[in-house]
Amino acid sequence: MRGWDEGEEDRKESLRRVSEALSQSRSDFSRSWKIYRRSLLAVMGLLMVMAVGTISFFADDIAVEHPYRNLQDDEWQWSIDYEPQRQKPFSEECDWHEQSITTNPNSPLFSETVVAESDNHIHETAANGYHKDILTVVRLISLDDNNGYDLNISLISIDPNNSSILILSPELYENTSLPGGKVWLTYEFDNEAMHVSWMPEGYQRCIFGTNHQGQDMFSKVLYGSRVSLQIGITVASLTVIIGTIVGSVSGYFGGRIDEVIMRICDVFFAIPGLILAMAVVSAIPEMTSLTIPIWLGLLFPLLFLATVFREYLTSTIVGDQIFDQGMGPLMKYRKVLYLIPLVLFCLLLWPDLINFSDSRNWNLAVSMGVISILGVLVLADRKFIEKASFDGAGERLGKTVDWTNPWRYLSLRTVVIFVAAVVLYEFSGGDGGEIVIINDFDRLWKIQAALIVTGWPGYARLIRGQVLYVKEMAFVEAARSVGAPSGRIMFRHILPNAWAPLLVAFTLDIGGTILSASGLSFIGLGAKPGSAEWGILVSESRQWFPDDAYLMLFPGLAIAVTVLGFNLLGDGIRDVVDPKNRR
Amino acid sequence: MKLHEFVVRRLLLLIPVLIGVAILTFTISHLIPADAAAARCGDRCGLTVAWTEDGVPITAYQQNIEQMGLDRPVTTQFRIYFEDLAVGDWGESSTYHRPVVDVLRDAAPITLEMTFFALFIAYPLGITLGILSAVRQDRMFDHISRFFAIAFVSLPIFWFAMVLQLLFAIGPPDSGVGGVCDPLFGTEGGCFPIFGRHDPSLTYPEDGFVPFYPAGGTGFHLIDSWFVTDQKLATLPAEFGSSRLLFKDTVLHLALPCACLGVASSGSLLRYMRASLLEVLHEDYVRTARAKGISESRVVIVHACRNALIPIVTILGFSIGGALSGAVLTETIFALNGMGRVAVKSIQYLDLPVIMGVTLITAVIFLLSNLVVDIMYAIVDPRVRLE
Repeated sequence: MRGWDEGEEDRKESLRRVSEALSQSRSDFSRSWKIYRRSLLAVMGLLMVMAVGTISFFADDIAVEHPYRNLQDDEWQWSIDYEPQRQKPFSEECDWHEQSITTNPNSPLFSETVVAESDNHIHETAANGYHKDILTVVRLISLDDNNGYDLNISLISIDPNNSSILILSPELYENTSLPGGKVWLTYEFDNEAMHVSWMPEGYQRCIFGTNHQGQDMFSKVLYGSRVSLQIGITVASLTVIIGTIVGSVSGYFGGRIDEVIMRICDVFFAIPGLILAMAVVSAIPEMTSLTIPIWLGLLFPLLFLATVFREYLTSTIVGDQIFDQGMGPLMKYRKVLYLIPLVLFCLLLWPDLINFSDSRNWNLAVSMGVISILGVLVLADRKFIEKASFDGAGERLGKTVDWTNPWRYLSLRTVVIFVAAVVLYEFSGGDGGEIVIINDFDRLWKIQAALIVTGWPGYARLIRGQVLYVKEMAFVEAARSVGAPSGRIMFRHILPNAWAPLLVAFTLDIGGTILSASGLSFIGLGAKPGSAEWGILVSESRQWFPDDAYLMLFPGLAIAVTVLGFNLLGDGIRDVVDPKNRR
Repeated sequence: MKLHEFVVRRLLLLIPVLIGVAILTFTISHLIPADAAAARCGDRCGLTVAWTEDGVPITAYQQNIEQMGLDRPVTTQFRIYFEDLAVGDWGESSTYHRPVVDVLRDAAPITLEMTFFALFIAYPLGITLGILSAVRQDRMFDHISRFFAIAFVSLPIFWFAMVLQLLFAIGPPDSGVGGVCDPLFGTEGGCFPIFGRHDPSLTYPEDGFVPFYPAGGTGFHLIDSWFVTDQKLATLPAEFGSSRLLFKDTVLHLALPCACLGVASSGSLLRYMRASLLEVLHEDYVRTARAKGISESRVVIVHACRNALIPIVTILGFSIGGALSGAVLTETIFALNGMGRVAVKSIQYLDLPVIMGVTLITAVIFLLSNLVVDIMYAIVDPRVRLE
């Protein structure tokens, strides 16, 4: 019987080859970048995507005001005769503000000097959530009484020392004939907070105009990029994950499973995308948050742990040197990196979950104990595998449980750990609570869920085709002949060789998802009315459509630019990874 | 495999998919948090409509539940639903207060007309530009047309429709454009009517302003206005001329929504045509043709294009699907009461039978058009039949 550590020369030779291949792959990247750079359109796409990403990241700094300013003020806060103005882009009136001033001396709100301040807007740090900006008054424009009649503007003056303070002349408040006890003052302000710092002097708010609620469209469009990017990336990545799993299962196993999955895909393909998404959106029940039971939540950290152990064990099989050859520092010290979430997990989550004793220290000790037991298990595994024989592994393939097959042994052990953990949890007096995954399952999440439901069959088909192609290659057969289980072959051998079209589809899909999501919002199934989402902004603008076309122009352009950016990026990547285009 | 065998096989393959679609719509309608029984009786649900034999009163709501079979097991419900589908009873709409089949019969021609007219625009445009782009590979024209192809695919269709309205229906603001087209069509400012299916002024005043589209027609106004003659058309006021005017009116109203849908799909067509032609141009027989001394234009048009067009046939299926999806948005903007608008309305009011009906009928249309595409493909490329 041949031991594992025999054949030192062969090992050295394979080490050399692996390191050669790895250095090749690193220069592959720079060559890919060279091919990518050749196309002007692709570079433009990359720049556009980067620009949108930057804008969404720094939206708080670039935006002039919060996008939901005034929105959550209820209607009672709006006075009947004050209607916020829609302003055209670059209009001077953007910097005008109308403020009500109480002139009834008997009113508790009355004072002789008034602070010029903006309307309420939502502010995260303010005590009650509302915030008013103090405005610097440049010029008084008009003064109306509550019925809309003009009053003499000289009744109010600006404090010469502090231009945010307005002084009421005694004639104004001694004149008790004013209806409603208040007047409306329109003034021009010049506020630091309202300046767009990178714009020329004078352009302050509303370079894109303001909407019917007096909100700055520029800020709304900026914040809209966050929503769109979030939807695009979340939906695309989740559909990729689901589609990959389903597609590779279908392609790898073939037969009846394949047949069933492909017929299900056919059904999803038979209904045009948007119509199916609409139906699914309406079918998702109203909920406030998405929760899962704790025992299911345990699965994720445990799967993580299992991956770490598996990785470690694989490296003992293949040999650490081969793995570490030619890898970047991140990969080389990945074991250390794995430790970080592990420690966090032990310290933060596990003691609360285990609930072994009232004392936190005891819980901590128990969780540490569990971890160290697992550690000992790993060491035992290592010994076990070093002793294990690989001779005749191919012959043993047909047997159901084969303890001498290290890979199969590893999979089994992972399942055992999971079951043990669940049992441990059940007996440790857990209160059966639920883990909240999505805190605020709003209408945006609803369209995301619908787009995921409608999107996965596309990826499943794509991956299935790729898997069918790669499956026939020699190295897959080699892996199978050593006795590697299906899961390992699928995720370690087949999928890494099928990623190229997946990446292209993923990039293009982000753009497509942004388009569909904004379309759903447009017909009223997506984001809440009034939110800073591009589709909603366009749909709200229809009310004033031919007259104030600027309202729809900018959000639509923003969608177009973002989607165009992702499409160009995807096309560029396709040119790089598609062997047909290699010249 | 003979062609007819291929067709029969494809038809048979359609059946499980259709059953699957029925299951899917049934599942969706069961997940939708709406009470179909309550929607049917509205505010009269509490009224007593009958008594049991023991004299216990039955409310309208209870009666609905019993009639609609909502108290039976889900499998039985599905069987009933499926049997009803097969005999053409698709339920009754609670918003339109009409049978779903009638609602769809009115709506489907509008969407189909728009879709086909849009493809009628998209195909010549996309294929021509694709050929030009491939012939001038890597030159300025190629780059520009490829950029526009991607740009048009990236445009949000609802926004593009509004921009088209702005440019061609209303006229650029403050430009004073107007009267370019026939003022008879009631277009104020721009060239094309801003929305609707036909001009509201084209009515019979003596009949209470009923639109004078012949009632017995196919529902496709493009066909009806050209072919269907109506005695009433003869009684039209003199300034309306003949039924040709109706046709012109229909075309003008269809132009913007179809251009909107068509341009988007012509973008992807251009890219496919370009790729396909570039592949063919490297084939041996093209080189042979060139070696024979045939002029380049003849090589491209006669030798290369005919083969390059074969894979383009398969794109037709995708285009129809895309156009059906896009129709939801364009119909909303151009106020056409097609299937898309019916779908939006039914989902807003949670009108279950209509939601199921619309989903099912779009699936059927899409599947049938794909079937036609596949058969066409099998005709132009006999190799397909072997698989």
